Amino acid sequence: MRARSTLAIQKDVVFAIFLREMSGRFSGYTFGNIWLVLEPLLMMGVFILLFGARGRGEFGYAEPPIFIFAGFLPFRLLWNSTMRNNMNALGSAKQLIGFRQVKLFDVFLARTLSEGALFFVVGTIIGLIFLWLGFDPVPKDFLGVFGYCFLLWLFAAGFGILACILSEITQEIQKVISLISMPLMILSAVFFPMSTIPEPYRSWLAYNPLVHFNEFIREHWLQAYTSPVADMEYLLAWTIGMLTVALATYRLRWKKVLAT
Amino acid sequence: MIHLENLTKYYPTRYGPKYVFKDLNLTLPGDRDIAILGENGAGKSTLLRIIGGIDFPSKGKVRSERYISWPLALGSGYQRSMTGRENVRFVCRIHGIKDTRAIEEYVKEFSGLGQNFELPVAGYSSGMRSKYNFSVSMGLDFDTYLLDEIMSVGDVSFRKKCEEALDAKRESANIILVSHSMNVVRRHCNAAILLAYGRAEFYESIDRAIFRYENL
Repeated sequence: MRARSTLAIQKDVVFAIFLREMSGRFSGYTFGNIWLVLEPLLMMGVFILLFGARGRGEFGYAEPPIFIFAGFLPFRLLWNSTMRNNMNALGSAKQLIGFRQVKLFDVFLARTLSEGALFFVVGTIIGLIFLWLGFDPVPKDFLGVFGYCFLLWLFAAGFGILACILSEITQEIQKVISLISMPLMILSAVFFPMSTIPEPYRSWLAYNPLVHFNEFIREHWLQAYTSPVADMEYLLAWTIGMLTVALATYRLRWKKVLAT
Repeated sequence: MIHLENLTKYYPTRYGPKYVFKDLNLTLPGDRDIAILGENGAGKSTLLRIIGGIDFPSKGKVRSERYISWPLALGSGYQRSMTGRENVRFVCRIHGIKDTRAIEEYVKEFSGLGQNFELPVAGYSSGMRSKYNFSVSMGLDFDTYLLDEIMSVGDVSFRKKCEEALDAKRESANIILVSHSMNVVRRHCNAAILLAYGRAEFYESIDRAIFRYENL
């Protein structure tokens, strides 16, 4: 066996876990990896039907499917999946930790990367499907959308890591996060633009950092939308703060988390 | 050489810290096959896991320049939904081996799993799993192999195969072994660590170590 630098070891390990995640994910399902695209597509279909059936087909800024696409997909894959997969990383880490090369952080890294890659692939495929159906799913400002998606992704990873480490102190943390994740989707302006919310509720909702991510993504994606609340400093402060706290907590407590 | 420096391990319990061992200072030579002896709960497996780098001492450290295998124990870490072959690939990848094909075939051949090698690990019996685990580690070239009670499972023919494989590796590698079977220890080891009363002693002679262990 040849000696490798620590960075080379980490690269090998993250790559190996990445492949393992990808192949193991839907291996139990009949349709296999088609679910990657099918799942968000079905959920978006349900929401489009729901809003259509309530006679609220119009959001004012874009066609409903595109509005939901721009709001729901980043929220679902980048926030919800990334956060949740990092939070639950411990279970799969415990299996892998029988090898000294594998550190808990590699599992976080591999899962975060795989969620990011998935978002990219799934977003492209669904975008092409919409294009084929005659909608206009292409973002107005690609780089802007990409940048805010990237920040949302980092924020979600930080939140997930923090929740994973803290749930070693008390398991209830994961339960609470699961409980609030559904109301959080409603409170994060995924299915409505903030411009439709009257004051003072608008400023109340604006305390939620996820609102800012969603609003910025929407603003850069849709042609005519300008957000009344989106605040760059607020969003950056949350992202950097979350990452700092998460990485510091990880560094202080990772051995305790793994102790059997 | 593997150096244990001020190695301390304790578990926090509601009655305060429970020490497994305290301030161990030992040097394990690289050319001896070492048995770890001790009663249940003396910290044999814990010590092995710490040497293998998958458990961490509360204080002190392990220093070594050798390539040490993962501790081969009954339940060690394979993804249960993945096949034997896929798990071999995973292990090769994390050890930085790009060409995995030769090792896959070696493991398939050595373990004698046949078709089961292409099936998920979850379906293996415990005997098959230990065969598999042993074969995977034999497929990679380590300087030190850590074996935790793995020699006492598996059928007779496979056990003989293991012994031959270990003898072949002995030129370039040594083993550190945890076992309650004195026969296995006598057959494979020529030095021992005795863990007792939170301390460790290194014995050059296996017979003296076993005598001490049996008269604890």
